[in-house]
Amino acid sequence: MSVKALVSRPVIRRLSALAAIVLAAAGPACARRQAAGPSNDLLVVAYDREPDTLNRFSTHILEDIETCIVEGLTTTDDKMNVVPLLASEVPTLENGGVRLRADGGMDVWWKLRPGVAWHDGKPFTSADVKFTVEALNNPSYKPESTDGFDRIASVETPDPLTAIVHYREVYAPYAIQFVRGCFPRHVLAGRDIDRATDYNRNPLGTGPYRVAQWRTGEHILLERVPNYWRGGGMPRIKRILFKFLANTNTRINQLRSGEAHLTALLPWDKLRDVEQVPGLVVHRMMGNAYEHITLNQKSVPAFADVRVRRALAHAVDRRMLTRTILNDLAPVIDGPIQPLSWAYTDQVRRYDYDPGRARALLDEAGWRDTGRDGIRERDGRKLAFTLITQAGFTIRENIAQAVQRQWREVGADVRIQLQDGTTISARWFEGRFDAMLHWWQMPSDPEMTLFFAADRVPPAGRNINYLRDEALTQVLYASDRTVDLVERRRLLQEAQRRIAELAPEIPLYNITRLDVVPARLRNFRGNPTNTGIFWNVHEWEIGR
Amino acid sequence: MPRLLVQRLLQAIPLLLIVSLLVFALIHAAPGGPLTLYLSNPNVRPADIERLRRALGLDQPLWQQYLAWLCAFVRGDWGYSYADGRPVLDRLLERLPATLELIATSMALGALVALPLGIVGAVRRHGWFDRLTTVLSFAGISLPVFWFGLLLQLVFAVTLGWLPSSGRSGMGGGGFVDRVEHLVLPAGVLALVHAAAWSRYLRASMSQVLRQPFMIAARARGVPDRTLWLRHALRNALIPVLTVVLLDAAIMVSGAVVTESVFAWPGVGSLFTESLARRDYTVLMAFLMLSSCAVVALGLVADLLYGRLDPRVGGDPS
Repeated sequence: MSVKALVSRPVIRRLSALAAIVLAAAGPACARRQAAGPSNDLLVVAYDREPDTLNRFSTHILEDIETCIVEGLTTTDDKMNVVPLLASEVPTLENGGVRLRADGGMDVWWKLRPGVAWHDGKPFTSADVKFTVEALNNPSYKPESTDGFDRIASVETPDPLTAIVHYREVYAPYAIQFVRGCFPRHVLAGRDIDRATDYNRNPLGTGPYRVAQWRTGEHILLERVPNYWRGGGMPRIKRILFKFLANTNTRINQLRSGEAHLTALLPWDKLRDVEQVPGLVVHRMMGNAYEHITLNQKSVPAFADVRVRRALAHAVDRRMLTRTILNDLAPVIDGPIQPLSWAYTDQVRRYDYDPGRARALLDEAGWRDTGRDGIRERDGRKLAFTLITQAGFTIRENIAQAVQRQWREVGADVRIQLQDGTTISARWFEGRFDAMLHWWQMPSDPEMTLFFAADRVPPAGRNINYLRDEALTQVLYASDRTVDLVERRRLLQEAQRRIAELAPEIPLYNITRLDVVPARLRNFRGNPTNTGIFWNVHEWEIGR
Repeated sequence: MPRLLVQRLLQAIPLLLIVSLLVFALIHAAPGGPLTLYLSNPNVRPADIERLRRALGLDQPLWQQYLAWLCAFVRGDWGYSYADGRPVLDRLLERLPATLELIATSMALGALVALPLGIVGAVRRHGWFDRLTTVLSFAGISLPVFWFGLLLQLVFAVTLGWLPSSGRSGMGGGGFVDRVEHLVLPAGVLALVHAAAWSRYLRASMSQVLRQPFMIAARARGVPDRTLWLRHALRNALIPVLTVVLLDAAIMVSGAVVTESVFAWPGVGSLFTESLARRDYTVLMAFLMLSSCAVVALGLVADLLYGRLDPRVGGDPS
C-alpha cells in the first residue's frame, strides 16, 4: 500500500475542485494591480507613525497632519522666517505690535486676519486666542508644553480682531507663541480637554483640510474644506491619505509599488532604494538639526579641560566622515545654530582635522603615553571613556566606529555602547554617560540658553555637556530678554563664537532632510523646522 | 470536569497576580518612562516634564503605583493611555479584531499545510518527500519573519504588482476581495512559519503512534491503510500537537508583533511595539495581562480537551 491510498480519489477530486475555485478567484486578482498615481483627487502619504492625538498642544510627535487642519497665528516658512497666517502681520517693535512696559513686562498686539471662520462656520476671533491662553495655563489640562504661555499674565480683547497679550517679562520668541494655533472656544469651553476625544481625534480648525476618517492603526484621510478662507480654488488636492507605516522598509516598498506617493524624512541609507523609482523625486534641503558628540564634563573630569576638548575635536576628520559614510549628503557644520537661521554666523573658531595639533594639546594638558600602550594617561588614570549612541541606526554606528579609530590614533581609548532611543534619552536626562553621539533638533527660534547656560544642566535644561561658563551664560540670557532683532542677532552671534572657543561638544554635520515627493507635485517647498513639509499644502498641485 | 475547571481557575489567580507583579517590575525596570519621549522635543521644557510627572502620578513610589494599578485593574478600570489619553480598553478592543482575523486565517492555512506534510512525512519516513519537507520546514522555522515578509512584499507587490504590500484594507475600508488581498501576504508568512513547526511535531508524534502495538494489531486485522492512518494514527498523534497549536494561538493573541509591524497590520501587536517604544505603562500592563490570561485560558482549554481526547489523561482528579 502506498501514499496513493491516503490521497484517494475522492480526496483528490475534492482537492482539485478546491484548487479550481481558488485559481478561478485568484485569476482576475493576479492581474497587475493598477496603483493609482498621485492626482489632484488623491495624494497618499507613507507616514512613519500614527499620531497619538490631533490636538496640536497635546501631541508628542510632529504636527504634519495637524498643520493641514489647524492654523497658527504665524507659521515658519521654508527659509525659517516667521510669517503671518491667521494674524494679518507679525507684531514687531517697529510696527508697534510689541510694546515694552516700564515694569519690565511687554505687550504684544495681535491683529487677526478678518473673514476667517472655523470649519463649522463660526468666526475665528480674539476670544479664541484668549481662551487658548487660559486653557493652557489651567493646571487641570496636560499639554505637552506651556512654554511662554506661563509668562502671560492676561489677554485683553478690545475687539474681535485684536488680542493684546500681556507678558510679565520680555519673551523673545513671542512671534511663534501661537504657531500651534488656537482652540475653538465655542467647542472646548468648560470641558476637560485631555478627555475631549471628539476634538482630539477630529479637531475643528480653520485650515485647508479636515478629518474625513481615522481608521485606528491604518490611516487618516483628510478632505479639503469647501470654503477655505484663502479662496482662489485652494487647496487644489481633494484628499490626502496618511497611511501609518512604522517600518521603514515597508514604507519604501509602498513607494516603489506606487501604493504611496510621498514620504518625509527618508533615512539617508535608504536614498539608493528610492532614487531610481520612476515618478518620484527626492527633495533635499538643509535641516535645523545637527549631529554632534556631547562631552559630559560631570562624568569625565578630563573633559573639563578645554585643551582636551579641543584636542578631541581636532582629532576627528569630519570631512572624511561626511564624504565616505554619508556620501556627501550632509555638510560639515561648526556650531549649534544652523546656516539657515537668521542668527547664524560662520565667523567662529574652526577645528580642522589636525592629529598633530591634537597630540600637542593633549601633551600640554599633561596626558602622555607613559605606559607605551598607545593610550595616554595622567595621574595614573587613562584617557578612556564610553561613547553611547542609538542602536539600529546604521549611519550612527558607522560614525561612532570611525571616531573611535580616529581618537585611538591620538591616544584616547573609547568604548562604544549602543542602546535604544528611549534608553538614550533617559540616560542623557540623568547625565549618566561619558560621551554621546546624537542630534538636537533645534527650535525654530534660535534659542540656545536651554542647551548651554550654566544653570540649565538637567533636570533644568539640556546642558548635558555640564558646561559652566559665566560669560556665555550672561550673553545667552541677555539674548533671551531682547525683542530687538538686530541686538538679539549680535548677542546670539557672540554666543556662537564663545561656544566655538569653549568646544563643549564636537559639532559634526547638519542633518539634511530628504523628502520623497511625486515628480509631478508642484509648489512643494519643504521645511527645515518642526513645522514640517505640509505648511504650504494649500498651494500643492499635481501637474500633468 | 466542572470541579477541575473551578480548581484550575482558582489556581490561575495567584499565578496571574505573580505575573502582574513581575510584569510591572520589568516594565518599570526598563530605562526611561512615559515622559522620556518628550525629552527629544526642544519645545518641551524641563518644567513641563516635572508638571506632567506630577499630573500623571509618576512621582509616587513604585509600590503605591502598583497597588493603585492593581486595585483599578481588578475593578475593570484599566486606566487611560499615556499616549493619547483614551481608555486603554478602547485602544485594545479596537485592535483585537484585526489580530484575531490574522490569527484565525494563518492558523487555518497553517493547519491545512501542516496536516498532509506531517502525515506523509511520518508514513513515508526518510523518503524523498520527507527529506524535502524536512529541509523546507527547517527553512520555514529559521527564516526571520521580518526578512521573509519584506521579500514577499518585493516579489508580490513591487515586482509582480499582484497584491497590496501592506495594510489591512484600501481607503474607505475596501470590499471583501480587497480585504482578502490584504490578508494574503501577512497570513501567508505566518501560516508558513506555523506549518513548518507543526508539520515537524505531527510527523514526530505520528511516527511514534505508528509504531504502537495497537497499530500493528489493527493492520493485522486488515484495516485499510487510509483508515489506519487517518482514523487510528492521526487521531492519537494529534493530541500532543493540539497543545502546541493552542499555546501558539495563545501567544499569537498577544499579536504577531513582527508580522504586524512589517505589514502595517493594525492589530494589538503593532500597538504593543508602539507602546513599548514610548513606555506607555498602562497599555503595556493591560496588554501583557491580557496575553497572560490568554495563555492561561488556552492552556486550560488544552488540558480539558486532552482529557476529552485521551481517556488515559486526568479527567476529574478526585
